[in-house]
This record gives sequence, structure tokens and C-alpha cells, in this order.
Amino acid sequence: MEKSLDKWISVVKTGEKPEHETMHHQKRHHHQIGHKHGEGSAIDFYAYASKIRQWNPTFKVVFSFTTLLLCIGLNNPFVSLAVIASMAYLTVLKGGLPLGAYISVLMIPITFILLGTIAIGVDFSSQPIGQFNLFLGFGYLFTSVAKLQEMAFLMLKVFGAISAMIMMTLSTPSSEIIGVLRKAHVPKLIIELMNLIYRYIFILLDVFNNMRNSADSRQGYSDFKTACYTFGSVASNMLVVSLKKANAYYTAMEARGYDGDLVFLEEEKKLQVSHLIIGAAFMIFLILLGIFTH
Amino acid sequence: MSEPILKVSELYYSYGNGNPALDGVSVNIFKGEKIAVIGSNGSGKSTFFLNANGVLKADHGEISYQGTIINKKNINDLRKNIGIVFQDADNQIIASTVMAEVGFGPMNLKLPREEVISRVDEALTYMNILDFKDRPPHYLSGGEKKRVTIADIIAMKSEVIIFDEPTAALDPLNAQMLEEVLLKLGEEGKTMLISTHDVDFAYRWAERAIVFDRGRIIADGTPLEIFKNARILEQANLKRPAMLDVYEMLVENKMIKDESNYPTTPQALKVLLQKNIR
Repeated sequence: MEKSLDKWISVVKTGEKPEHETMHHQKRHHHQIGHKHGEGSAIDFYAYASKIRQWNPTFKVVFSFTTLLLCIGLNNPFVSLAVIASMAYLTVLKGGLPLGAYISVLMIPITFILLGTIAIGVDFSSQPIGQFNLFLGFGYLFTSVAKLQEMAFLMLKVFGAISAMIMMTLSTPSSEIIGVLRKAHVPKLIIELMNLIYRYIFILLDVFNNMRNSADSRQGYSDFKTACYTFGSVASNMLVVSLKKANAYYTAMEARGYDGDLVFLEEEKKLQVSHLIIGAAFMIFLILLGIFTH
Repeated sequence: MSEPILKVSELYYSYGNGNPALDGVSVNIFKGEKIAVIGSNGSGKSTFFLNANGVLKADHGEISYQGTIINKKNINDLRKNIGIVFQDADNQIIASTVMAEVGFGPMNLKLPREEVISRVDEALTYMNILDFKDRPPHYLSGGEKKRVTIADIIAMKSEVIIFDEPTAALDPLNAQMLEEVLLKLGEEGKTMLISTHDVDFAYRWAERAIVFDRGRIIADGTPLEIFKNARILEQANLKRPAMLDVYEMLVENKMIKDESNYPTTPQALKVLLQKNIR
């Protein structure tokens, strides 16, 4: 078992490289949309390869959620820094995710954080006010040290909160997160939908890729007008295929005795006491850090 | 002869378009039989399977399992005891981990959790895929998915297992693996029905062959009887198995004596040739 797990992880590791290459490849050629492994399924892939996947999922979800709350609630740049560093430590060193992959996953929220916080740090006025200002010909961009500091602290806070959530998503497969939500008594309908949607995203992507490739091989994307037409055809065809597949699935489920309740077997991963102690110690540390550096 | 495990009598079924998909099908299936169900596309094989499992409800006719006539109340017994391995694995796999997938059937049988876990482990070991336990199905290959779908049914401990064109879309190595599993299941006394277009496979594996044509059973007998009957082959658009042709050619040209000992595999033919040449 141990050996096969190693093999699986090594497969994942070797599988990563071409994935990154295709991602860069994608950036260079903008017209090549919808690669098989987009960012979304890469995250899914990393979660399965994570070395801390064996940890109890409820612990991971509660831990990252508490960290997120503390990070926002304490509103302290030192706490934020501690959270950023410890989450990176957990994901990269404990989880065995390559640093490059971690940064590439973080790049998406970083873009939003930068765009969002700049608007808070920098303001616009028709008068030359503020500590620093920049004349743009029709008005002034102005800011102050206090404002910039506020912006930097906010950035750290949001970044800390996000890295706590990303620690969870990069170490816990979706099916386990759904299992935790089920234990938290989220309505059954939502849980069933989440399970089905998660499974079918990959099938839908597969079907879409096959259709797109077959259209592409028949010059379906040769110019803009044709591409638009093809896109429409593929989309409507996918609806028909989805309905057919839904029927086929229902048949297959009924054949195995489905009677209206979608219940899946979930693996019980034992909660390790050491994790609980370290987790609690980390929370206390964050709170103390928040109080003493206030 | 003993009581049939599954008795189907005068089954009629039509889909919405009015054309009958099953047009009066009657068949008795006995415990431990290995049956090949053959016939061209759209001849009613899959519809028959879905009726036999209780997913589709026949317009007329009745099905009895071990002597009990199936009605609305005991339809779950039918589903529990007759498992279908669907043709397209991606149309069967519903859960997002292999373990949850194989446990889906046993969970629906409302078994206690420990029993479900032990059945899942047993089925995965049986199919030699225990390592895949917590992998999601979208990272498995076609052959691996097929094994998962067979493990699905093994975990339900069905008495009768139906395979809908299991060799379609499998590479030779995986097809070989599948045949080994079929032999193993056969040794355990499971009743199996397999629909296939591979006449060579049907010829060497099956003990009994049922030929479907336009919703009717047009022939039911040993594969040898059926494949020697030119009229049936023509009516159902079937090919003769290569081994049968080879044997008859050898007999015709007096290379071997006709002992009505038909070889079904190249190995058996080799033994026969060695015996005759010596």
C-alpha cells in the first residue's frame, strides 16, 4: 500500500511538469482555450497528491476555517504574516506541493487582491491634497503613508485568509470536504447536488473536449464566424448529450438499487491527538500574538 | 431439470416511439449457466437486460426470480440479485472515489457500515484494484474503470451478473484480464449473461447462446449448434467463429479425423493436430 502510494505520488509529480508547460503554452497562445487540465482540475489533482491528505478532513476544514476567522477577526499584520507563513509551510513542506505550483495557484487571488486594495490605498481628487499626489492632467491621484500602510495590512489580512482556505483545498479532495459539510448538517439536497456536480464536471469537460476536437479536425474553428457557429452547435449538442447521459446514469443507479437517497461510503480518517494539540496551540499562539502586538 | 433461477415469460416492451423493442421474449435461465447473448445492434439485448434487472417495466409478461413472481413490492430483490455491468463505464460510475463507487450498491442494500467496508475491500481485492481505493474515477484509465464497474457488482454479491458488451472499448490486455475474471466468476458458480458481438469469444466462453433478432429470441442452444446453423447466422447477421471454420476446413481436407470434438481455442486445436499427425 505504502509503495503504491509512493508510486501514485511520483506519477503525480511527473504528471505536473507537462501540465505546467501546457499552462504556459496556453498563455502564449491565447486562441487555444479550454485545455484539458485547466487551473480548476489542477487544484483537484494537487489535493489528491498531497501528503497531508491522510489527515482527518474535519480537522483540516475546522482548522483552516478557524485560522481564517482569527486572521480576519484579530486584524493584526503580525497575525496575518504568521498565518501566511504557516499555511505555506503546511502546504509546501508538509503537503509536498512544489513551491512553483503553490505560487501559481496563489497568483489568481493575488491579482484580485492587488486590484481591490489599490482602490483603497490610492484616491482621486481634483485638488492637490494628501501626503503624496500625482498630477494626471485632469486631476490628482493622492495617498498618504497611513493609507498605504492600511492598504498593505489589508492585503496581508486578505492574503492570510485566502492562504488558509487554499491550504484546505490543496490538501482535501472535494469529496471529503463534501463529507465534512454533510456532518455539519448541510441540507441533504445540497450535499447530493455537490457530489453529482463534482463528478459530472469531469465528464462534461471530457465530452466537451471530444466534441471540440472533432469539430476542430473538420476546420470548425477556421475563422471567427465559423468558430462562433461551431461553439453554438457544440453547446446545444452538449445539452442533448447531457440529457441522454442523465437518463443513462439514472438507469445505472436504479440497477444498483438506488431508491431516492444518495448515500456514499466515506472513509473514516482517524483524528490524531497530536494534530489537535498542535492545532489548538497554533490558535492560542495567534490570539496571544494578536493581543501582544496590538 | 431443477427450478430456473430466472424465468422470463412472454415479455413485451416498447419505448415511447411505439416500435416493440421486446416482442414476446421467453427464456429460462438456470443457476451457474454461462450464456452469450448475441444479435445485431438494436435487436433488444440491452432492453432485455434492463427488464431482467427490473429497471424497465415490461408492458406485458412476467419475470420470476427463484420461483417468486416479481411485482412492485419485491423488485428490490431482483435488483439486488441481478447485477448489470454497463457497456460504458463512465455511464455507471457515479461516486467521486473508487471506494464510494463500489460501496454505492451495498449502501443502497442498507447494509451495516462494517459489512459495506468489508465487501468493498473484498471486491477491490478480487478485481486487483485495492490500490485505487481513494482515487477519483476521472484519473483512471478505461481498463481500470471497467474493473471498478465489475467490482461494483461483485460487492453487491449478485447471483446473476449481466455484462453488456464488456469487451467493447477494451484493449487486448484488458480484454484478456476480463476473460480471466469471467472464468474465475464462473468457477464460483455465478450465473452470467454476456452480450457480445465477438463471436469468437462467445464460441469459446459460453455454454449456451441466445440469439436476438428484432426483439425476439430466434435461437437458443449451445454455441456450436447455433454457429453451425447457416439460416440463423444469416437472419441475425452473424459471422462464424474462425476456429469453427478452421476445424471444418481441416476435416474437409482430411487433415484431421472428424470426431465432433470441436476446438474453441488455438491451444485446443494444437493438441488436436498433434494427436492426428502422430
